[in-house]
Formats: sequence, C-alpha cells, structure tokens
Amino acid sequence: MQQNDKTQLAIDKAEALLTGQGRYLYCVADSGERVSMGAIGIDGSKVYTIPYQDICAVVHECRAQPYNSTEGEMVNSWVLAHQKVVDEAWERWGTVLPLGFDTIVMDKDGVGAEGNVRNWLQNDYANLKSKMAKLRGKAEYGAQIFWETQVIAQNLIKTSPEISELEEEMKSQSKGIAYLYKQKLENALKRELEAKADQCFRDFYARIRKHVDNIVVEKTKPGDQNTQMIMNISCLLPRDKSTELGEELENINILEGFSVRFTGPWPPYSFVGT
Amino acid sequence: MSIVDIDEKNLKHGVLGLVIALVEIIKDTLNLQAVKRMEGGSLTEEEMERLGEALMDLDTAIDEIKQEQGITESVKSVRDGLDDVVDDVIDQFLNPEKWRKAAESRGKSSHAAK
Repeated sequence: MQQNDKTQLAIDKAEALLTGQGRYLYCVADSGERVSMGAIGIDGSKVYTIPYQDICAVVHECRAQPYNSTEGEMVNSWVLAHQKVVDEAWERWGTVLPLGFDTIVMDKDGVGAEGNVRNWLQNDYANLKSKMAKLRGKAEYGAQIFWETQVIAQNLIKTSPEISELEEEMKSQSKGIAYLYKQKLENALKRELEAKADQCFRDFYARIRKHVDNIVVEKTKPGDQNTQMIMNISCLLPRDKSTELGEELENINILEGFSVRFTGPWPPYSFVGT
Repeated sequence: MSIVDIDEKNLKHGVLGLVIALVEIIKDTLNLQAVKRMEGGSLTEEEMERLGEALMDLDTAIDEIKQEQGITESVKSVRDGLDDVVDDVIDQFLNPEKWRKAAESRGKSSHAAK
C-alpha cells in the first residue's frame, strides 16, 4: 500500500513537472491585455493571454508534447475546441492570426515556455503586426460550388455536335461495335465535361474575384455519383461586404444543375500565411 | 498514407475489392486501346464486333461479381485512393515549389518549439 502511494506520488510529481512545460498556442490577437478566458480550451484547459506590447498570444498550459490520438472522435473534439477558442478571441478582439492545430511552444535553453512565447512575439512583432493590419476588419468565407454531373452531361450531349453525331452512329451498329462506340462516346463526354468544368471555374473565379480581397483555391473533395464539387475556395473580404459576395454566389446557385455552399464568417485561417 | 483500406474482419472482401479494382483498370486500358484501333482503321468489321463483345462481356462479368460479393464500395475506395496518389504525384511534378512550401508549413505548424 505504502509502495503504491509512493509510486502515485512520483507519478503526480512527474505529471506536475511535465504540465506547464509547454504552451499550446491558439492564435495571436490584436490586444495587449492579460486576461483569463476561462476553461474553454482543449480538454477543458484554462485559456489565457500572454501579452507583449499591444498584441498577445492566446494559450493554455500543456505538457511538452503534441496532442496525438488514433481516435478520430478525440481528435475531432480537440480541433473543434481549438476553433472555438480562436472564434471567441476573434469575437472579442476583432483581429486574430489563427495558428494550426497542435502548435506548442516548449521551454528551451533555460527559458520557460511562457518566456519563449513572449520572445517569439517580441522577435516577430513587426511581421505579426503587419499581418494583422492586412486582416483587420476582414473575415474568411468559404464557397464550394457543385454540379449535378447528369444534368450537365445531358446538356452537353444536346449541344455538342461531336457527341450527338456519335450517338446517331451508334444506333445503327451491331452489338459489339455499338459497345465500342459507347466507350468512344463516354470518353468524348468525359473530355467535354472536363473542359466545361475548367471553363466554369474560370468564369466563376472572375465573378467572385470582383467582390473579395483575396482568394485561396483549395483542393476539391470527391463527391458522390451525381454531385461533384468543381470549385472549393476561401475568400478574404471585409466583414460588412459579404452581402455582395452572397448575391454573386446566389446567381451561380440558381443556374441549372449548379449549387453553392456558402459558409462564414470565419477567422481568417487560410490567409495567415499570405 | 494507406492506399488500400482493408478491414481485418473482412479480409476476403478487401482482397477481392483490390483484385477487381485492378481488373477494372486493365479493362479501362483495353477499352481505350480498342477505341484507338477502331479509330485508326486497323480492324476489320468482324474484329471490331468480336473485340466489342468481349469487352462488353468482361464489363458485365465485373459488374456481376461486384453485385454478388457486395464489393462495389470497396472497389470504389481502392480506385479513389489510387486516384489520390496519382493526383499528388502529378501535383508534385507540376508544382514542386508549392509542394516544398506545403511540406515546410506542415513541419512548422505541428508541435514545433519556437
């Protein structure tokens, strides 16, 4: 029993030493305040600010090792908590530079983690300030544009002379040859669809570009049989200018076979590096 | 990156899905070649008919196997996975600069001591 207590004590001590050796960074905010934001962080950690002059880092105390788990659910809840803290800081101070999940500052060369965070704010101050100036008053909006492949393909078949010709020829062929024609037709349709997607992308990009300060083109995600994502972008624009962008996207949304998912405002996650 | 997501409880499905995915890819290549030859005019009418029928039978057989074994999804996931790998390789090939930057920023954002 006594042995167990001792072991437990040693573990507690090691835990205590390990905790506090790192600072988990959520974002840098446009304020020199030193405040506690409450237990809103990852796994209910207490979130507070480390100020330097008129900026601060939003952090919690953590162990000097990354958050890592093979459980998807666990990681999801961490990432959500990360976002929530960045959101809150953003609402509170208006301008933030969000950091990626799992950014941890450790103690090093005898300087504590908190000191290292402050040193970083100090050394990178000019850069951080200029980034913040670029993002002040602005928000990120996401737009994903989808099309119904069947609807678009039907329209292409009607309008493309190459394809309608092939379809006509196919009808008069015997079974085996008709199959080869079908392949040929499918290849032609695929090419036409790709060209069409390319053309839509350029057209929509130009239309959206007029309403935003900056665009980052993200990778499209695979859709299902009928719906395909043809465009996935993040836009940076002044928060009070989102109506114009929304109207432009609505013009795309009402096109036959197209649909748009418009999200935001978000803290400018995609534009910290630009 | 895991290309093939094989469910251990269902190894048979996983392996079958992989095999059929490969057969499908070979079939697609054969189809392309067949169409090219047809366009090139090097086949007689009868050869075209036989080739077309053979490919059609293969198509039907693959569809039946997928239906019977319930592996349509697992074949699709293998093919999507392979597509992703090819996408990445082409992306790296065309934009080595972008790739390097992405790798750098990944290294920076994950658990780095500043």
